[in-house]
Amino acid sequence: MTKGKTKSHFVGVRLTEEQKKALYTLQKTSDLSKTDILLRGLEILSEYYALGLDQPPLNTELKKLEEEAIQHLQALKQIKRREESVKHMIQELREIDEIIDDYDGEKSALIQILLKIQEKNHWLPKPALLWVSERLTIPMSQIMHIATFYKSFSLEPRGEHLVRVCLGTACHVRNGPKILEAAEQYLGIRSGETTPDMKFTLESVNCLGCCALGPVMIVDNEYHGKLTSSRVSDILSNYRIGELTLTKEQQKLAPIATKQPPARPM
Amino acid sequence: MVQCSTVRDLENHRQALLKQRNSKKLCIAICSGTGCHAYASEKVVAAFEEELKKQNMEIMVDIKRTGCHGFCEKGPIVVIYPHEICYCKVTPQDVPEIITHTIQQGKPVERLLYTDQKTGKTILLETDIPFYKNQTRLIFGNNRKIDPKKIDDYIALGGYSALAKSLSAMTPQKVLDEVKKANLRGRGGGGFPTGRKWETTKNASEEPKYVIVNCDEGDPGAYMDRSLMEGNPHSVLEGLIIGAYAIGAHEGYVYVRQEYPLAVENTEHAIKQAMEYGLLGKNILGSGFDFTIKVHRGAGAFVSGESSALMSAIEGRVGEPRPKYIHTAVNGLWNKPTCLNNVETWANVPFIINNSAQWFASMGTPTSTGTKIFSLVGNVNNTGLVEVPMGVTLREIIYNIGGGIPQGKRLKAVQTGGPSGGCIPEKYLDLTVDFDELYNVGSMMGSGGMIVMDEDTCMVDIARYFVNFLSQESCGKCIPCREGLRQMVSILNDVTNGKALEEDIELLEELCEVVQMSALCALGQSAPNPILSTLKYFRDEYDAHLRGECPAKVCKALIQYTIDPVKCKKCGLCAKNCPVDAITGDKKDLRRIDAEQCIKCGNCLESCKFNAVVKTTGKQKEFLKKQLPNITR
Repeated sequence: MTKGKTKSHFVGVRLTEEQKKALYTLQKTSDLSKTDILLRGLEILSEYYALGLDQPPLNTELKKLEEEAIQHLQALKQIKRREESVKHMIQELREIDEIIDDYDGEKSALIQILLKIQEKNHWLPKPALLWVSERLTIPMSQIMHIATFYKSFSLEPRGEHLVRVCLGTACHVRNGPKILEAAEQYLGIRSGETTPDMKFTLESVNCLGCCALGPVMIVDNEYHGKLTSSRVSDILSNYRIGELTLTKEQQKLAPIATKQPPARPM
Repeated sequence: MVQCSTVRDLENHRQALLKQRNSKKLCIAICSGTGCHAYASEKVVAAFEEELKKQNMEIMVDIKRTGCHGFCEKGPIVVIYPHEICYCKVTPQDVPEIITHTIQQGKPVERLLYTDQKTGKTILLETDIPFYKNQTRLIFGNNRKIDPKKIDDYIALGGYSALAKSLSAMTPQKVLDEVKKANLRGRGGGGFPTGRKWETTKNASEEPKYVIVNCDEGDPGAYMDRSLMEGNPHSVLEGLIIGAYAIGAHEGYVYVRQEYPLAVENTEHAIKQAMEYGLLGKNILGSGFDFTIKVHRGAGAFVSGESSALMSAIEGRVGEPRPKYIHTAVNGLWNKPTCLNNVETWANVPFIINNSAQWFASMGTPTSTGTKIFSLVGNVNNTGLVEVPMGVTLREIIYNIGGGIPQGKRLKAVQTGGPSGGCIPEKYLDLTVDFDELYNVGSMMGSGGMIVMDEDTCMVDIARYFVNFLSQESCGKCIPCREGLRQMVSILNDVTNGKALEEDIELLEELCEVVQMSALCALGQSAPNPILSTLKYFRDEYDAHLRGECPAKVCKALIQYTIDPVKCKKCGLCAKNCPVDAITGDKKDLRRIDAEQCIKCGNCLESCKFNAVVKTTGKQKEFLKKQLPNITR
């Protein structure tokens, strides 16, 4: 930020000590930032010029100054945004640090650490992986090998709701594939994809170990057992609508099943 | 907090617990395994707690969240002790009735009791239900009496007495000899003699040595390891500590699948409690033996269940198998001698130590001793976990315990041994189930998944399903497995799409042979099993597919949906449910399905209330074309 730089110029005129003080107190007493005060000053000035002291060179000068002030403001905003994202990243990396410290920074705990990060974010962001690589002194290539080998890890952001359809043997003989198809049809995506509105991610899993309920679908951590393909859309629409608490009219407008199923490769 | 620093301390604590616990006190046990949990058993527990509070009966009645009872079909299961009255499919709405009738007046609630399908009579007691009655619940039996979060429950039932016995009265060699004499074989799949495995690790010269529990239960359709780890984690830990003592290991790992969050939670909790009680850690029960256990979560890779792959996963590397010219028992985790056994194998150990090897060997067959837990799933009436002595016939398991096939359908095959097992046809129903017999008919014991398939299952589709599963799970390290399986899937896809020729089947057989002989690990070597066993017993189905028919009417490319004009009531429900608007015709006119547009989702068949939608295949299709020239195109 611009901390430390006192304003020595205002509207092209060198500020006297008194004026500097005035600006300082103005800033202190009001919640306005220096830039806001500057802009406000500009406004007053422009009014002043508009009142009759209309001299062209002054006007151009004024415009230049205005532009400068605006640029200054934008730069300030950008810095602030960057600062926030850096803060956020630091926070995230601190959390990762905590996870790594839980395992005493042991190299062999890499998979466990990645699992914890995945649990927290629902995916593995690249900065996180780079940080893990740095801290554990494990090359990034090796980390990527692990992150792509194991099924639990995702290198892309996931939707808000994770929909998992079981395709274990017991569910397969009880029509599990049809359930997956129905879910694909309703969400308009294929297994492994996320809806564009980032609401749902659809996945198939190989046995969840509750075969008596087959065919089974899990949304987040809720189990829906003994499914038929027609019940799938009802269940999923509950997650979509229940969360937004739409009015009845809005519900009518809410997008319902896309009729065309996505193409499946054979 | 109880600290058991000697064997006597543990025994005293057990006696104190038994004195404290009144065996006649009413106790409501609610199954909280994953199956019942999915049926919202937690809400049932909350309803019981609330109702008891309302009636001011909290002190008189205990509530217990137990592990999986095994009878998942009828969940949530509630058992009322000491009478052992068993209620099935209990909902929170049933709770007040159970409290007023059973708890207060001692009368059963008839409608919640199990009804025998053969006789139509209700059965009051848990032990009288045929599903339970025909089982021998050795390892799994305590699940229903224990709250997995409470070590005291396990100790009160005699838990950790085998550990006390081994540490105080037996030398490591004696423990090992006992396990060897019992002829315990690995329950994870291979059936390798456990005692011999232990001995190899024990005699290996390198130090330190490691012991590992393999709970990476990846086989789809098998969940007994999960239920044991969730429901009675201490029994597995006790077995592991005894094994470590016999082998001379001081560090152990429990490798649990990440897909089993409850198992991870309960295991971690159990380890913590055992540490507090002094049953783990330094100088266990004053014997001078030190042992610690760590939990390692898997990250979703089927192949990581293979011993060498599992060990590299624990080391924090990619879980790929390596060639095992030197067995992992000698050169395993961090290149040190490592003994890896399945959950169920470890859970058997305390029973052998407590009851002697002779007693254990008296159960089962001479070559396969003891009991085995099977997960009986698929098209069977009583889905659930079943524990029987080795040597019981398939018929007994499926019909006496499993209650037969739903809707009176015919049994077609039983698939055992997970994805790389084989399909056993109906004619072998009287086969006795043990390691060797299953191997002889082209299948294997595997981890104990038993998937029942009825006449509506297409065997080619099943073979395709398994090989597809394995090809996706193949780590890709060796070429026979990576490429071979992919080619197999592509041929099987052709078969199910009706595009295959006679030569393709020959090619498939050849491929199977090559992969079997040349793959690096057991995943690849056994991957052709589903194809070979279905080719052996269901060749006619393959031939039918070559002719363009799918006898079970499963393979989409070979079936067609049509509407029977006689049965059709023109209600239009099918057209409403069709996702692609392939059904045309209005109220006056007959409905017809446009074969071009139809995606064969089966919604119309499911929604029709008059059974007017017919699924046809191959020749039947021709036949119908002749019969109904106006309907089908």
